Amino acid sequence: MRLIPGVWLACGVLAALAMAHAAGEQRLTAIPDRPEAPDFALKDIDGKTHRLSDYRGRPVIVNFWATWCPPCRKEMPSMQRAWETIEQQGIAMLAVNVGEDEDTIFAFTANYPVEFPLLMDMDSKIVQQWSVRGLPTTFVVDPRGRLAYRAIGGRAWDDPRLLDQVRALAR
Amino acid sequence: MGTVLGLVVLTGVRAAPQPVASGTDPASGLPYWAYQGGGISVQLVQRLPDQTRAFFMARGFDRDAAEAIALGCVFQTIVRNIDPGPEAQAIEYDVARWRVHVTGRTRPVKIKSQWDREWTARGLSEAARIAFRWSLLPTRQRLEPSDYNWGMSSFDLPPGQVFDLELVWSREGQQYRGAIEGMRCAPDVPAATHNQEE
Repeated sequence: MRLIPGVWLACGVLAALAMAHAAGEQRLTAIPDRPEAPDFALKDIDGKTHRLSDYRGRPVIVNFWATWCPPCRKEMPSMQRAWETIEQQGIAMLAVNVGEDEDTIFAFTANYPVEFPLLMDMDSKIVQQWSVRGLPTTFVVDPRGRLAYRAIGGRAWDDPRLLDQVRALAR
Repeated sequence: MGTVLGLVVLTGVRAAPQPVASGTDPASGLPYWAYQGGGISVQLVQRLPDQTRAFFMARGFDRDAAEAIALGCVFQTIVRNIDPGPEAQAIEYDVARWRVHVTGRTRPVKIKSQWDREWTARGLSEAARIAFRWSLLPTRQRLEPSDYNWGMSSFDLPPGQVFDLELVWSREGQQYRGAIEGMRCAPDVPAATHNQEE
């Protein structure tokens, strides 16, 4: 019988944690004064170089991730679903892998197929320039190349409320 | 599982609610401990030494270095800002301020920079050190509402050791402390019977 309060408490806490996560409390944090986003030139897994500045004029979702990071893996399918919506709306999406090589990333895409560019920051210099402390972290860059929003930890990126914030930057 | 209890309240420090829980993580089948209150939730899931060995050896660690971290009492850790509502506030934590209470002694948590100095002294490759750096829970972080961080925490204790963890964080300029009692480092047994993700 002594176990019952502990079990009850455990269930309560887990339920509360689950509710907090599932209750639609997803947010993007507005970055004060919108500082300039550090530019980068990174290769994707097909060898094509992408410069952030090449995307000037439209909002860009820049996601930092790694294949071994569970919340990164969890949000990746929602990023693909979001991409299928926003690709034709003038919004770009770049996922910057931290510290892994193209073979590792390519193998990952067998289970997590995505159509947006997967870039490689193998020496982790770019992720440090962006002051990222943990993975995943995602920024939204406005059409003027400034950091508009940040999300630390995974999100369900196909949530229309999140995407509306991004779309609003394009207007 | 060990006793799991409440909260440390110090003078001038706000008392957070004290829902602390433990159980078995459904994904890994391993024990977890969780704390929730004062706008924060902290969940720590045991990692078997075998899992940590395999993870780091696959990322360029030599056997001795992998052994050092694997036997360092590693937990998969999620820190989340759970402050609800439109007036929700940011929280800030610094793992360097957390404390481990074990067998009557109090000691700090072994943080990323301390490990990194050790890896440098051992001559670990830059690639391996990068992998390690991003695998650990960030030492310091400011989490806005709905933000969370994920990563490994290492308490530098032997396998099977029981300890209490004292958590410190702040919210709205107010410092909070909470405690999870009766945590236990994973035993050094083969991971074959478990299915925890890397």
